[in-house]
Amino acid sequence: MADVFAVASKEFSDIVRSKRFIILIVIFGLVMTIAMAAIYIQVIQAMSNLPDVPMPQAFLGMMALILSGTLSSFAPVMGVALGCDTISGEREKGTLKLVLAQPVYRDTVINGKFLAATSAVSLATLITSLASVGISIIIIGVTPTAGEAIRIALFLLFSILFTMTYYGISTFLSTILKKTSQSVILSVVVWAVFTFVISIIASLIAITIAPPVFTPGQPTDPESIRRFTAIVETISSITPNYHFNKIGQYLLSPYSPTAPQEEASIMSSLMYAGPNILVLVIVTALVFILSYITFTRQEVR
Amino acid sequence: MESVIETNELTKVYRSGREAVTAVDHVDLRIERGTIYGILGPNGAGKTTLIMMLTGLILPSSGSAKVLGHDILKDSLQIRRRVGLLPEGFGFYDHLTAEQNLDYIATLNDVPKAEQEKIVDEALRAVALEEFRDRKVGAFSRGMKQRLGIAQTLIKDPELLIFDEPTAGVDPEGARVFMDLVSELNGQGKTILICTHLLREVGPLCTHVAIMNRGGFIIQGRIGEIVERMIDEEGYRIEVGIKGDAEAFAKELRSLPGITELEVKGGNISVRATEDVRANIIRIASKKGVEVLSIRRLEPSLEEIFMKALSKGRKQG
Repeated sequence: MADVFAVASKEFSDIVRSKRFIILIVIFGLVMTIAMAAIYIQVIQAMSNLPDVPMPQAFLGMMALILSGTLSSFAPVMGVALGCDTISGEREKGTLKLVLAQPVYRDTVINGKFLAATSAVSLATLITSLASVGISIIIIGVTPTAGEAIRIALFLLFSILFTMTYYGISTFLSTILKKTSQSVILSVVVWAVFTFVISIIASLIAITIAPPVFTPGQPTDPESIRRFTAIVETISSITPNYHFNKIGQYLLSPYSPTAPQEEASIMSSLMYAGPNILVLVIVTALVFILSYITFTRQEVR
Repeated sequence: MESVIETNELTKVYRSGREAVTAVDHVDLRIERGTIYGILGPNGAGKTTLIMMLTGLILPSSGSAKVLGHDILKDSLQIRRRVGLLPEGFGFYDHLTAEQNLDYIATLNDVPKAEQEKIVDEALRAVALEEFRDRKVGAFSRGMKQRLGIAQTLIKDPELLIFDEPTAGVDPEGARVFMDLVSELNGQGKTILICTHLLREVGPLCTHVAIMNRGGFIIQGRIGEIVERMIDEEGYRIEVGIKGDAEAFAKELRSLPGITELEVKGGNISVRATEDVRANIIRIASKKGVEVLSIRRLEPSLEEIFMKALSKGRKQG
């Protein structure tokens, strides 16, 4: 019986040679370069005004911020772009029939695809992120500390997980829907809902239920702000994006969320991010299991 | 003779909400080793569903079947290891070359790397595509893709080959190449099952046929036997060519026992009879001094059998 690596190897080769993948990497690289250039200019200007500010610290801090922001937008796009035709594309082209006519289990096919996508996503994330971080280091001439490097590496690892969450959602849609066009549309809708719609709805609900109290001439009531934020976060927590952003906040900021003056160890940051990491793992596993069950039970007609 | 396919009351019912459609209805089929078996039927007859069940790609609703001795429910992987299947509407990876596509199929079939090149070479040669091995399949014509489809079935050196609508959309030259290849493969001892609605192209190849409609077989067996069965049901058709007054001779023939219909067309007389009356016709001609130029028994063509079987099936249905 052909093993999962035979399928994964062919799929990986297909993905990394595809125009789609190359375009995604180029776009991501460009976005990171532009963002870096913008931050660099800002830091240079700040330095000319405040010569005592240690530029590399400021730059690396902002770099981490931009990496987090860019990946939170880019990762879902990559996941959707790679996953939207995983099964429906093969079904439309008739290649699924050809492959399943061979002595292979269906789980070999879907596992191979998932493995190939994980490898390709890892490659894309690592190439673009490390290249941009590397370039920033070369420009500034300062290397990050071991702790910073570990934090960035961990963040990239969870970015891959986040991309795979969207890949899993798109793959599931491409398994249950007959046409790739339907799968693309629905995947984009899911992405838009998770990325924009829910946060807007959350803010609207929070403003209606617990609006922040502003008294002219006085500072905003911190309790009302806390209640408003809690409602927004509770509603937003149904999206994977919320959990990814939280992971980014905990890992890329070295300060403890409970005691902002104290520096948190990497292990503590991981502990804080633990529930969010768990949610991302569960959602990714769930959508993959759903795709797996649907695909293995589907009849080839 | 050993059977390579044996089904017992094989049934498939597709359900969609409250609706249920019986695609294959209690089919009993037995295909013997070394035959070219044609399952003929219109679109939607249930041929593809039957094939997919036989190769384990669709689960039956009821009944059982064995292919090369393997149970379709318990051992479908072994079936696909030993059966070369060319499904209807299959496709190749257009961005890969013919050779790369076949390499992938060989990998899926666990062909050792060392043997892969030789086996792929042989398969490409068998379908006369060796000079296009490095061309991307996206640039192939329909006929070439179909030939490559046959090549992929040969990678595993199968004992049984199943082709679903192999000549649909293929030009006459492509269809001829296919038929030559099927004859050659059958000559090598391979059993071949062809499902098609294009009986004119594929039908003549078959040693056995089953005519399928609405999920069931209306008629099945060796072609010769089916012809005899039809003759038994429909009667003999004899065409007589004579020199002289055909109308006068036809009048004489009407008195012959067993003749049910008689028609004169120019110098030819078409006779339908319950038995073979050729000897009697010659005897009367000789007695009346009529010169018989030709006399032959007309056998029903596969197309006629197909049409008759379908109309009979519709009446019964």
